[in-house]
Amino acid sequence: MMRRQLILTPEPISQSVMAGPCAENKSCGALLSFVGIVRSLEGDQVIEGIDYEAYQAMAKHQFQLLFNEMEQRWPIESVRLIHRLGRVDVGQASLWVELLAPHRQEAFEALGWLIDTMKQKVPIWKHPIPRPETATTAPRAAIEQDGETQCDDPSTIS
Amino acid sequence: MRVQVHFFSYFRDLAACSQCSLNLEKGTNLEQALVEIHAKFPNLKAMKKSTLVAVDMEYVSRDHLLCEGNDIALFPPVQGG
Repeated sequence: MMRRQLILTPEPISQSVMAGPCAENKSCGALLSFVGIVRSLEGDQVIEGIDYEAYQAMAKHQFQLLFNEMEQRWPIESVRLIHRLGRVDVGQASLWVELLAPHRQEAFEALGWLIDTMKQKVPIWKHPIPRPETATTAPRAAIEQDGETQCDDPSTIS
Repeated sequence: MRVQVHFFSYFRDLAACSQCSLNLEKGTNLEQALVEIHAKFPNLKAMKKSTLVAVDMEYVSRDHLLCEGNDIALFPPVQGG
């Protein structure tokens, strides 16, 4: 049974988490980790950060489905994944993934697949925050992750 | 039957709200519901080809039959990482 840890958080991904002890398993010879970092350029736009929005319940569900499939396809012993939400400044980590597997080949294959598929299926969106002196449009208003706004006209379609 | 529709990312801006309710005939499928959603929120219709749709957090086909209490989510292509 593959061990799993999934965290979606507005808090910075700390060095202590990334450097923390992985699951002890003497049959595993490959520990692979990936850190995604916010770049200063998003397309051709200079930015100071990215505001990450998620449909959190579905994101967690879809991540678990990806973990299920990954476990079916590769002999991964452990996966730990942290994705930031909310504002992440340039240079900060937005994503951290760690896999533990018997051999490096399956770890590399599974990690590439997991990140590629995440970018197709997990409902998380980037809202770049332009640097003020380079902004051509007003920065997007902050999004209340759990806030809900009802339609002005709450009437239903019949 | 009543279902709830949720909009995410810039679809919320295009719809000018984050959610609404729909009253649908029993036996309505997702494609038919989308026609009603686009009629109520015409700004979303232009994004039809790139729209991702989930029902109760699962990606389903457009002929998926809806049920009372379903949560339908509409959103643009995802961009995590």
